[in-house]
Amino acid sequence: MSDMSSEHVAKIIDFLRNERKAEDVSLEDVMRLAELMAESFQSFFKTMDLAIYTELGEMAREIANMKEELALLRLSDMRDEHIPTAGRELDAIVEATEEATNTIMSAAEEIMAADVTDSDAYQALVGEKVIDIFQACSFQDITGQRISKVVSTLNALDKRITTLVEKLKIMRITDAAGEETASEKRARELMLHGPQFKGEGVSQDDIDAFF
Amino acid sequence: MALDTSIPVLVVDDYKTMIRIIRNLLKQLGFEDVDEAADGTEALGKMKERRYGLVISDWNMEPMTGYELLKQVRSDSSLSKTPFIMVTAESKTENVIAAKKAGVNNYIVKPFNAPTLKSKIEAVFGD
Repeated sequence: MSDMSSEHVAKIIDFLRNERKAEDVSLEDVMRLAELMAESFQSFFKTMDLAIYTELGEMAREIANMKEELALLRLSDMRDEHIPTAGRELDAIVEATEEATNTIMSAAEEIMAADVTDSDAYQALVGEKVIDIFQACSFQDITGQRISKVVSTLNALDKRITTLVEKLKIMRITDAAGEETASEKRARELMLHGPQFKGEGVSQDDIDAFF
Repeated sequence: MALDTSIPVLVVDDYKTMIRIIRNLLKQLGFEDVDEAADGTEALGKMKERRYGLVISDWNMEPMTGYELLKQVRSDSSLSKTPFIMVTAESKTENVIAAKKAGVNNYIVKPFNAPTLKSKIEAVFGD
């Protein structure tokens, strides 16, 4: 054990004394600790068994490679840029659809409330409001483009997560049964499923037959 | 028998645009006396202050859902006879069965159109 240098031990002690809180410990921290441990034990086992020493050397190289590969995935770009941008795109979609709906409904309400006895004025009003409705419908083009950007982000995220899972060799992870959250419990108890895809829910005709 | 469009109607939905759509459709059908509430709790409060001839409610709202509102209404002897139509995007069989079991008079799946709303209101009043 004399070859496990005091310098290595000091490095590990420094790392552990760094007063990290559990939530602050990143994958990188864990890997760094593993690296330090591997380095320390290398010198210890060197004196005992060359095979183990070689194995530990391999492990250290593997960890170093993994760090490089993780860096290449640019996961921080997803966290700092792509995901917040996708959130802003979705907010903008909600805003645009709401604005368009209000414009269309206001136009329709004005047509409904118009005085039909003055046919010239009525015709002019209807013409003007129909143009407003056409213009408001252009939201579909813009929201379509925004949705495409969000879909691209989701695809990129999916690709990077898949790559990460492969690199970390954790393909056989089994889903842990997580605890049901309060909102999940409410949704289950009150049957809050939300809209169904076409053909998946019961149709109005089926409901009518049931009633 | 002609539909009595003078009855006060309570529309319950947390989505203002949907309330506006239903209100306009009801107006087209001749219903002028339309109140609104944003969830079951607000609706129940309004129903205790005024006797409505018809309640048209969404299902998915917070804090009180339309389903909970329906059960509360049916369990309150002073409100239990109020006609109640569910207008919702919840189209799973279990939702429809649960609503029927709880005493809903009719069930409309969103998106819907004016003739559907009209026919369901007429069905509720036996026209």
